[in-house]
Amino acid sequence: MSTTVQPAAGKDRAGLSLASLLRKFGPLLGLLILCGALGAASDRFLTADNLLNVCRQSAVNALVSLGQLVVIVTAGIDLSVGSILGLCCVLVALLMHSGVPPLISVVAALALGLVLGALNGILLTKLHLPHPFIPTLGMMNVARGLALVISGGFPISELPSSFRFWGAGSLGWIPAPVILVALFSAAFYVFLNRTTVGRDIYAIGGNPQAARLSGIPVDARLILVYALSGLTAAAGAIVLAGRMNSGFPLAGVGGELDSIAAVIIGGASFLGGVGTVSGTLVGALIMGVLRNGLNLLNVSAAWQTVVIGIVIVAAVWVDIARQRAADKGGR
Amino acid sequence: MDHAAPLLEARNISKSFGPVGVLHAVSFDVRHGEVHALVGENGAGKSTLMNIVSGVVQPDAGELIFEGRPVRFEGPRDAQALGVGFVHQELALVPQLSVAENVFLGRYPAARGFVNYGDMRRRAHELLAGLGHDLDPKRPVADLSLAERQLVEIARAVAFDCRLIIMDEPTAPLSDHDAQALFRSMRLLRDRGVGLIYISHRLKEIFEISDRVTVLRDGRHVLTQPTAEVTQDEMVRAMIGREMEARLHTASTGSVRPGEALRIEGGINLCVHQGEIVGLAGLAGAGRTRLLEWLFGAAEAHPRSQCGEARTVWVNGQLANRRSPLDAVRNRLALVPDDRKSKGLVLGASVFQNIALAGGHGRFWIRRSQEEQVARRWATTLRIKAAGLSQPVVHLSGGNQQKVVLAKWLVAEARIFLLDDPTRGIDVGAKAEIYDMIRKLAGEGAAVLMASSELEELMGVADRIVVMHRGRIAGELPRAEATEEKIMHLATGGAD
Repeated sequence: MSTTVQPAAGKDRAGLSLASLLRKFGPLLGLLILCGALGAASDRFLTADNLLNVCRQSAVNALVSLGQLVVIVTAGIDLSVGSILGLCCVLVALLMHSGVPPLISVVAALALGLVLGALNGILLTKLHLPHPFIPTLGMMNVARGLALVISGGFPISELPSSFRFWGAGSLGWIPAPVILVALFSAAFYVFLNRTTVGRDIYAIGGNPQAARLSGIPVDARLILVYALSGLTAAAGAIVLAGRMNSGFPLAGVGGELDSIAAVIIGGASFLGGVGTVSGTLVGALIMGVLRNGLNLLNVSAAWQTVVIGIVIVAAVWVDIARQRAADKGGR
Repeated sequence: MDHAAPLLEARNISKSFGPVGVLHAVSFDVRHGEVHALVGENGAGKSTLMNIVSGVVQPDAGELIFEGRPVRFEGPRDAQALGVGFVHQELALVPQLSVAENVFLGRYPAARGFVNYGDMRRRAHELLAGLGHDLDPKRPVADLSLAERQLVEIARAVAFDCRLIIMDEPTAPLSDHDAQALFRSMRLLRDRGVGLIYISHRLKEIFEISDRVTVLRDGRHVLTQPTAEVTQDEMVRAMIGREMEARLHTASTGSVRPGEALRIEGGINLCVHQGEIVGLAGLAGAGRTRLLEWLFGAAEAHPRSQCGEARTVWVNGQLANRRSPLDAVRNRLALVPDDRKSKGLVLGASVFQNIALAGGHGRFWIRRSQEEQVARRWATTLRIKAAGLSQPVVHLSGGNQQKVVLAKWLVAEARIFLLDDPTRGIDVGAKAEIYDMIRKLAGEGAAVLMASSELEELMGVADRIVVMHRGRIAGELPRAEATEEKIMHLATGGAD
């Protein structure tokens, strides 16, 4: 008689195998190797100042990627986050320039991101558009266009210093945006892993049909997911505007692709149902470290883009190859 | 053609995957013009043996002899070149393409790079006619019924000049009626000298269609005999090594209580009492799945059912909301869907995650340890065979997967079970366990509405059988009066 599920199995042993350890910490290992290599190549890389700088520069992408992660876990994609970031960036600056207090301006920008994201979700579920690519591609263009319209195409600079704190400030030696990322990450981690709604989201990514037939309100969950993605894009806008001391309409151009790259490098799957907050943070850091390190090594921006493209494909390929090997070993 | 030698002979085939021995010196042969049934519980080694015969897997030991000559298959192409065809359970057709294009997929009749569509359609039509069916070769496969798609797969094997065709549970998704049509095609092929290997869990069909039968158990060969010389009891005993028949046909539990658990009024009138098991019979397309999914708030009403009349549903005497499956779950309904892989399970997720899928609605925080305890208890009660709660369900056998789906609803404390072909493609042992569970639930007062394509199963389990025909209820038979003839009479539209 083969074994049934053992009543007293407690911790499942499978969690300790080498393959699953590699799966869990593969992206982190990649980050450490990358840091080691860059440290060897440039004596300016492994300094406290520079590493804090990398964290600060990675913060915007990390925030946007958290929302993108939740979307990708549902087997979706959000192409509009870069443009929503741009629009919120301009809006918050315009409001403050017209005398609205920073706090209210920030809340308004976050609300706009949330609403535009929710709109993506509503378009997807209620109009039965065939794939999230469509509504978010539409939103990507609309939001970018609106950002250019309301700003007249010009950056809105010189923002109040209390606002700039979240982009450029520090608490002790810790950059303020890093604290923001930590808070958002903790919230997203708890949401995805400790709440039934988070569990629903993984189930929807794994098999939407089975999720629906188990009583999970799939449409409502998807609307929430895209709203969260809009919210984190707006949070990214606050940090970016603060750091640059400017709300500029071309903020976040290409941001959707950076966030998708961070999520995928972090071990999430386009097929849905898989992805972690910690992996995504590591993914965003890998992107940031690469850019920073290549800058220090005087590699031109053009070549940096080439390298990042190769890293994205290589990271996913390594992941797939490892899975194949694990599947073969398991048979 | 040399009919003395077997078409294909496998001698002393052994195969292990890692440390697990799957086949132990199994011998097996197929003759020209015979249907050879291959039976055994899931995990008995049928699939592996067939994968070896069709070149997908290479044996560790033993030899294959094709028409008297030893052969070695390095891959499926080698087997195909000799004329071995495999009609898979999960059909491998391109839905957007036409029947003819699918039949000749990858080998279109062409001249100088241009496909000769006229010739292709004509030949496809001939092939299908040779199987006893008249199917328009221009129709897209997406429009075809499951039974018709299977026919296209078989036509493809014939177009390849296959002399040995392996069919892996071809009737699992078919109604008895469609299965008969498939058998007609199989007999036509047999009469032309084609050898057929037929894998099925439906013993009745094996007696109907096969000339010889081979039973495997735990990777070993148990018996090969002319089907006419074996009884069903002998076959079942050979498969499971113990007496099981009694468990498949116990008397009704007699647990029916007066309280109405479920009542439908309108175009369809149907009532299920607490503690009652009502069977739902009907041919494929009669609307059984549609009715169950509609009850669960997951599908529109059947287009052919009496339209215009509002159909209302009462649960435990109260008018029930049915806007979404969530309403149904709140009313403590459960749906075990017809296709567990696409509708019942998140395949990549763990046993625990699947069991927890329906139980958490209405709570915000996950109560991990408590939920694990409940899940573990049900997994033990249902005897789910898994390496642990964290094992992905994709690696479980069909029977264990179905038990996971059941466990999900037991955790959610459902009281009304809508079961849509709950034992499809499941081996005899797991089937008996699922019947036991259904009876136990009814014994505890749960109401069960169970659709099945297997009449025998319905007659063995249900207290009452409701027969559907073209989206309506054609009649109802109490357990004592139900016979296969009466059910088929109603299911094919005969008057009550």
